[in-house]
Amino acid sequence: MNDRIKALYQSHILASARDETHLGKLTDATHILEAYNPMCGDKYTLYLKIVEERVEKASFEGMGCAISKASTVVLSKSIQGKSLEEIKPLVEMFFELVNEASTKSPESLTENEDLLAFAAAREFPERKTCATLSWGELKTII
Amino acid sequence: MFDQEAIKQQFPILKQRTPQGQRLVYLDNAATCHKPQSVVDAIADFYTKGYSTVGRASYWPASETTRAFNKIRLKVQHLIGAKHQEEVVFTFGTTDGINKVANSFLRPQLNKGDEVIISEMEHHANLLPWQQICEEKEAELKVIPMLDSGELDYEAYDSMLNENVKLVAITGISNALGIKNDLKQVVSKAKAYNIPVFIDAAQSLAHDAVNVSELECDFLVFSGHKLYGPTGIGVLYGKRHLLESMQPLSLGGGIVKRVTVDHSTFQDSPSKHEAGTPNIAGVFGLGAAIDFVNSVGYDQIEAYAHELTVYAIEGLSPIKGLRIIGPTENRAPVVSFVMDGIHPHDLGTFLNEKGICIRAGHHCAQPLMDRLKLTATARASFAIYNTKSDIDALIDALDEANEFFL
Repeated sequence: MNDRIKALYQSHILASARDETHLGKLTDATHILEAYNPMCGDKYTLYLKIVEERVEKASFEGMGCAISKASTVVLSKSIQGKSLEEIKPLVEMFFELVNEASTKSPESLTENEDLLAFAAAREFPERKTCATLSWGELKTII
Repeated sequence: MFDQEAIKQQFPILKQRTPQGQRLVYLDNAATCHKPQSVVDAIADFYTKGYSTVGRASYWPASETTRAFNKIRLKVQHLIGAKHQEEVVFTFGTTDGINKVANSFLRPQLNKGDEVIISEMEHHANLLPWQQICEEKEAELKVIPMLDSGELDYEAYDSMLNENVKLVAITGISNALGIKNDLKQVVSKAKAYNIPVFIDAAQSLAHDAVNVSELECDFLVFSGHKLYGPTGIGVLYGKRHLLESMQPLSLGGGIVKRVTVDHSTFQDSPSKHEAGTPNIAGVFGLGAAIDFVNSVGYDQIEAYAHELTVYAIEGLSPIKGLRIIGPTENRAPVVSFVMDGIHPHDLGTFLNEKGICIRAGHHCAQPLMDRLKLTATARASFAIYNTKSDIDALIDALDEANEFFL
């Protein structure tokens, strides 16, 4: 892992995990997704309000480790306001970002530091499931 | 005279540095422990100086191999206090041994309405095989609960015992919490009803002397790799009359007296239960591991484990937000804990950056985690080569984790 990614992992992931902007239940959600990892017990409920193929609002409730929580925060942040068409390549990019077998450098995939921090998962393959827990669930509806 | 430093020197991996150049602080010994040079040498010597099959051929070096192989069976017999060498069957590990006893001993005799007793703190390996057969046969799997103190509820166990119980299967030491169970009590109570008792000793042999004859258990299994030996080798102890009456644990070469296409008759135990070419190198590695353990001595192993455990509990307890799970007394050198606001997996990753290996997760004991209302713990477990300075490194790093995460 290069030093920059390492620094981002330490600074951005913890900061994201503490970000409560998207925390909470959405009463007018059109989609409710359960992201659950039975291996470690991490569990998030994602609330999406999707109108005319666009995510108007995204929020979540749940508990887990810093990596799974931060990735759920970043997911909510990243998709709110975007069309499903725009979200699809974003999700693909995220999976590429954490894939240790990827031939693409993390920096060539995104400039967004909140997202870039998750490239640290390439170094910790056992934590990849934490990073992708909510993103994998999002994949099921796009 | 116990020279811990000299013992530590026998473990070559501890001279390695982590990729970040740190000293390796290895505290995941309940999962698997490192190997002394003598074990590595025994395996290498077998492959380089006298490799051959075992028990089948009459040429050199096979005859030599067979002689040495049989001696290791005797070594295991003495290690666990078995009355007869035929009671020692080599397996591929604890899990393999449990599955084999489940299939060859329990399955043929379990009927609808029968009962099997396990405990709430079992590793999944000592739960799933019994659970599956009980489901298949419509038998009931009963679970001895755990008290809040971490001890088994022996009164509840008393009330579960009856003539319908066909087996009690229990761990000697909880892999997740380090709780030591009172096996003598478990076995003697079961004996009052003539119920066979199966002991999962995967954790026990690394820390405590075990004597199957004194314990009077019917079966006991353990793995080489948690006892300073190699992976892929384990032992099943079974009382001679039980092993003789059981169907072979698996079928294949080396176990028969006479085979026709219609029918086969089998050899006596242990040959009958060791189908196929065994893990010969693993057996030699296990032999060297037993020599290592005997050279230190169980008295010393137990005393040093106790010293490290007390030191760890005293040092960890004052750390802000840290809670040790399980009893503080009568425990193996396995210390499970949680920290306020820091997920065990995050802690594991943080400590890895400092060259400290602990384990985080449910430790393959989900029913126990449910009982504790936890999803995961962090677990530090110690072996003979660990030192107080390893524990100091852990304590310092946990203080740093508090700074980092909170």
